[in-house]
Amino acid sequence: MAKITYIEHDGTEHAIDVKTGLSVMEGAVKNNIPGIDADCGGACACATCHVYVDEAWLAKTGERTAMEESMLDFAEGVAENSRLSCQIRVTDDLDGLRVTMPESQH
Amino acid sequence: MQAISRPPVERPAHVPPERVVDFDFFAPPGAGEDVQLAWKRLQDEGPDILWTPRNGGHWIATRAEDIREIQTNFQRFSHRVFTLPYDPQQTHVPLPLGVDPPVHTPYRRIIMPAFLPKVVNSVEAMVRELAAGLVADLAPRGECEFIEDFARKLPIAVFMKMVDLPYEDRETLLPWAEVVVRSPDQAKRREAQANMMGYLAKFVEARRASPGDDLISTVVHAQVADRPITNEETFSLLTLLLFGGLDTVASLLGFICRFMATHPEHRRDLIAHPELQKNALEELIRRHGISNTARYVTEDCELSGVALKAGELIQVPNSLFGLDERLNPDPLTVDFRREDVRHAAFGNGPHTCPGAVLARREIAVFLEEWLARIPEFELKPGSHPEMASGHVNGVTRLELVWDPATTRS
Ligand code: HEM
Ligand code: FES
Repeated sequence: MAKITYIEHDGTEHAIDVKTGLSVMEGAVKNNIPGIDADCGGACACATCHVYVDEAWLAKTGERTAMEESMLDFAEGVAENSRLSCQIRVTDDLDGLRVTMPESQH
Repeated sequence: MQAISRPPVERPAHVPPERVVDFDFFAPPGAGEDVQLAWKRLQDEGPDILWTPRNGGHWIATRAEDIREIQTNFQRFSHRVFTLPYDPQQTHVPLPLGVDPPVHTPYRRIIMPAFLPKVVNSVEAMVRELAAGLVADLAPRGECEFIEDFARKLPIAVFMKMVDLPYEDRETLLPWAEVVVRSPDQAKRREAQANMMGYLAKFVEARRASPGDDLISTVVHAQVADRPITNEETFSLLTLLLFGGLDTVASLLGFICRFMATHPEHRRDLIAHPELQKNALEELIRRHGISNTARYVTEDCELSGVALKAGELIQVPNSLFGLDERLNPDPLTVDFRREDVRHAAFGNGPHTCPGAVLARREIAVFLEEWLARIPEFELKPGSHPEMASGHVNGVTRLELVWDPATTRS
């Protein structure tokens, strides 16, 4: 279990306990957090689960995969700390993680 | 489809006898009644990882945990061979399915823009109009053969639109697609591939000269990393885009429609509670997984205690992922309110289906448009749905009846 804080583009925060083994995207979708669409259900095929990972957590959330990298090309407003949240697996190590959603996923 | 006889091969010395199950995935016992159940029996009764002497001799992983490992660990479980039995004469490399990262990534990049949600949104209106039209025509008839009359029409129309090809040509293409995914005859599969390439050739030439905004034009003019795409790569990508999206969607529509025809309480529940649709769709997909491809073992290794040898093939029946009770309790029950619906019907790892958003949308549109007009329907009494296993589980015939008085326009 890890507490993850999802921050909407307008600053609204949602702190949620997410089960180990789920993805950061699934944690948001299961709790109806607005701002993550996840149209492909985690297949790394839609780029609508884009988040910005808080700088302090970049090392722990790991590297982008090559496929994620190429999908991110299709997202808007991509930055150094952009990730596709369906590609981040939740572990106990991610307890306290903070991610921010972009203004829009499309 | 008639399975041709394939004599079993000798068990290699390193395969423990207790791992051997005689299982021909082109004709599992009971597949004619319920394909997924036929596979499920193998999961229930066989070892987690088993070896069958059929189709050249190969491993099968039946549990979710191993299936996930095999599909994501591409260094060890390569896509260089993904169809069974191994065909030494197969020289054409289907792209992007037949290559592993990093070679795989640039091809994926070429096709992905065609599948983004915004593009799917833009074809949805066409899909809906077509579906609504088909159902409206069928409703007063009181019966249909669902696969021919509906399930195959939707995805081929979508594909023809994406690549901007004449819709009439679907009659030519569909039989080839059927052979490629379901025939155990390798020579026939190669021939169907070749026919397809021949068909596409004239369009490829035309779009090379004057591109439009369709997928063929995109592929023909694409760069692979930093060089122009070759002719061979172009054909390979296009054939897979065609075959990948036709029979899969038609089959899944067939499985789901059969389920709805035989489960009136589920049907009425969904009609009464449209807000369940998203979860219901995942649950229906979970129960009716379809893809049974294989991987090539690149090095001697151990998987969940079983020794695998470099060069062997291991099959990953994706349907069994969602039907594994270690992952989903009571897996054979379809529960539209199930929390945490877990499946791998679209794969996992680098080759995860790029068409997943599109396929889900097509199925959602079917459910909405069909149930709105034909809320009450059942299997035609005395008829038997025809199902088949192969690289893709499929429904090839599904006869339905309903009372036209219960339909709505
Ligand atoms: C319900 C429908 C569908 C299902 C269940 C499905 C399932 C799958 C699966 C399991 C894979 C991975 C295969 C493997 O690992 O061996 C795959 C790959 C693929 N699918 Fe689908 N698919 C569906 C619809 C579509 C559609 C509509 C299209 C396109 C129009 C499509 C195009 C592809 C392509 C091009 C690949 C290869 C991807 C790669 O190698 O990177 N699929 N599909
Ligand atoms: S959910 Fe589609 S890319 Fe993450």
